[in-house]
Amino acid sequence: MRILMLTWEYPPFIVGGLGMACYGLFRGLSSLGVTVDFILPVKEDVYFEIKSSDEADHPRIKSENGEEAKEQKKPLEFFKVMYEIPEEGAYASLKAFIVEVSKSLGVPSREPKLQVPDEVISRLKYLLLQGNHMISKVSLYTEKVLRIAQRLSFDLIHAHDWLTYPAGLMLKKYFNKPLVSHIHATEFDRALGFGHPIIHEIEYLGLNYADRVIAVSRYTANIIKEHYFVPEEKVRVVYNAYYAETKSSQKIKKFKEPVVLFLGRLTPQKGPTIFLELAKKVLERTKKVRFLVAGAGEMERELMLWASSLGYGAHIMFTGFLKRAEVERALSLADIVIMPSPSEPFGIVALEAMHFGCALILSKQSGASEIVKSAYVVDYWDVDKMVDIVLELINKPELLKAKQEEARREVQTFRWEDRAREVLEVYRELLS
Amino acid sequence: MKVYIIFYFQVHQPFRIAPYSFFDIGTGKSYFDEDLNRAVFNKVSDRCYIPANNLFKELILESEGRFKISFSLTGTFIEQAKLYRPDVYQSFVDLWQTGGVELLSETYYHSLASIFDLEEFVEQVDEHIKLMKREFGHEATVFRNTELIYFDKLSDVLINFPNLQTILIEGADRILMGESPLYPRWSANHAHLLLLKHYKLSDDIAFRFSDRSWPEWPLTIPKYVRWVKDLTLAEGQGRNLYLGLFMDYETFGEHQWAESGIFEFMRHLIRALLKEPMIDFLFPSEALKTLNFTPKTLSVPTPTSWADTERDLSAWLSNPLQWNAMKSIFDLLRLAKEKGRWDLVPTIRKLTTSDHFYYMCIKYFQDGDVHKYFSPYPSPEVAYKYFLNIIADLEEQLED
Repeated sequence: MRILMLTWEYPPFIVGGLGMACYGLFRGLSSLGVTVDFILPVKEDVYFEIKSSDEADHPRIKSENGEEAKEQKKPLEFFKVMYEIPEEGAYASLKAFIVEVSKSLGVPSREPKLQVPDEVISRLKYLLLQGNHMISKVSLYTEKVLRIAQRLSFDLIHAHDWLTYPAGLMLKKYFNKPLVSHIHATEFDRALGFGHPIIHEIEYLGLNYADRVIAVSRYTANIIKEHYFVPEEKVRVVYNAYYAETKSSQKIKKFKEPVVLFLGRLTPQKGPTIFLELAKKVLERTKKVRFLVAGAGEMERELMLWASSLGYGAHIMFTGFLKRAEVERALSLADIVIMPSPSEPFGIVALEAMHFGCALILSKQSGASEIVKSAYVVDYWDVDKMVDIVLELINKPELLKAKQEEARREVQTFRWEDRAREVLEVYRELLS
Repeated sequence: MKVYIIFYFQVHQPFRIAPYSFFDIGTGKSYFDEDLNRAVFNKVSDRCYIPANNLFKELILESEGRFKISFSLTGTFIEQAKLYRPDVYQSFVDLWQTGGVELLSETYYHSLASIFDLEEFVEQVDEHIKLMKREFGHEATVFRNTELIYFDKLSDVLINFPNLQTILIEGADRILMGESPLYPRWSANHAHLLLLKHYKLSDDIAFRFSDRSWPEWPLTIPKYVRWVKDLTLAEGQGRNLYLGLFMDYETFGEHQWAESGIFEFMRHLIRALLKEPMIDFLFPSEALKTLNFTPKTLSVPTPTSWADTERDLSAWLSNPLQWNAMKSIFDLLRLAKEKGRWDLVPTIRKLTTSDHFYYMCIKYFQDGDVHKYFSPYPSPEVAYKYFLNIIADLEEQLED
């Protein structure tokens, strides 16, 4: 079986969790005998191929005509998309948006062999001409995919997140192959509500005109059913899993006090303000703890001003942007990791934190909380409850230790091979 | 009636901190950026200290002592001069030995201890007085606080040092309420004579000299001399006038580059002023004995300084990053003293230097204004992060 994967990230081109998820999934699939070809947004006209799981770390780089590209003289150049939260949506409400979209495009039928109508293709082409810098990158990528795909043979298209949906839909139309749209995060998560109308529309089309949709959690599946009216029978939930890159994940003690860590982009979606609220309330009760905000993002100044105004000296610290190796060091010296996201489709950081032996508090509004049993699961707004948990863990070192060991053990049960089998099942449904 | 010109120059270098990341905590990495501090010191030495010292020495000698200036040399400056440029140190010693220089007292570390910890303030002043005695054999009688920060309470605290009779302060509009900065005042408690900076004529040299958008540019010798002489027009009672020209020593060659002609301007300006019979140069300590009138009392309930257009503490304490960092370092210093960790005290004191907090100032940073120009860090947030990491490292050491 040969799958053409469309994704925006793959190590070392990583911005967020998407790259980590694709790495795990592709590696898992290749271990089951699936050949994975994938196209990344790099400037050079190349695609990548993984035939066996040991190639996942260094996929073959192939030129357009299918030959293995010679030793790259210089590193591939990646075109990044910087997501920005829209100031204001063009539509007054989600309802207005859906009404508008279904008026122009109709509601997709529920027939089993769903075709992509011409109007949808011309609508996509129109959307890709809407000159903002994010969309123009997507447009570039779509052209690149269409060019390269002509030379490739594949049984099925698997597209990851909205950035690749236009390319996925066009391939489906032109090559008449089944399309699986994988949703790792919706625009509702990123914007914490209604976001860019163009992105919403692309998500709507990409999910509704796909043959199957894979959501990374029940939480996300519910969002797309509720807001994009994706029919239940088309949606499958496949959770993320974890491949340990480092074998030894020894804990490092940097401070005498326990360290409570927030790790993620400093953007409203990840809930850093909730973390600071928690820090404030815990520090009112005890100073025997340090809070660490790790990551960069548009909220950095605002968060630093707030944190410093609490006057707790170096008990609330900021690291700025962390490189990959530094992320691992931060996790190995953290005792407790909080993921207070108000809307998190999955949250792969949670699994990583478990690997490094961190006790976890997850927001109920995260996909990871559906499967991680060793974590404390709390509504993201219930700061007081998080405070009680943190205080208890600080005051009972043996409990903290037990929780950390439990996490370390549990993460080993989240295996990408199992997830890949579930995805393979989806492929078989479509190809039989 | 005389116009007395009092030149005062601030000579200071901070120990700038290293890019100290979170992961450097506990590694024993040095807090201070040795290479950067040496590079800055060398640059400023070559552009400013050496040529300016040579110029002023020449003027003092050729005027046979009629031309006079005063300096405050901070402890951190002296340490760096000895460490990086012994020739610069020697050059200041030579200048001092001409007899045309008065040395003032200030906090050894150029800190805001006067705002956060008065006991520490007294200790830092004492340390500086001892330094001046040791290095120059000089017993200071004039005080000037970090960046000319002054408020009534400061004079009360300085009573601890009976030798100190005079304090230099900013002639800020809001304390003078429209009155002239040319007349010295008594402090609110009448313990000290206050000499005021004439910020218009000081800043004409320090800030505007090479500013081509300034309507008075180019500043010529006759123009400036006339401005000085015109000061007497408003004085009808024959009282002596005290013109405080207080500025950063780096004005010469660093803020105003040599190419702007600042050195030649100063050379010819001083010579021209010396020719005016009604104008004399004065050491700050000589103001007291030349008074021919009884000074008024001046109350300064809240701190003034010479920094930024606000002339208050906002350059160092206008956002919570600065407050949290400054409060933490003084807390840490108290703790170190309580625990008797005298091995750490000098290092912590170097972190009380006001410059560290100046780099965290947000209010003007975007405009590429002076804060940005002087900062070795890409942003106030970065300066804050490094500083806080160092504090965390020190806290760990103090817990041992």
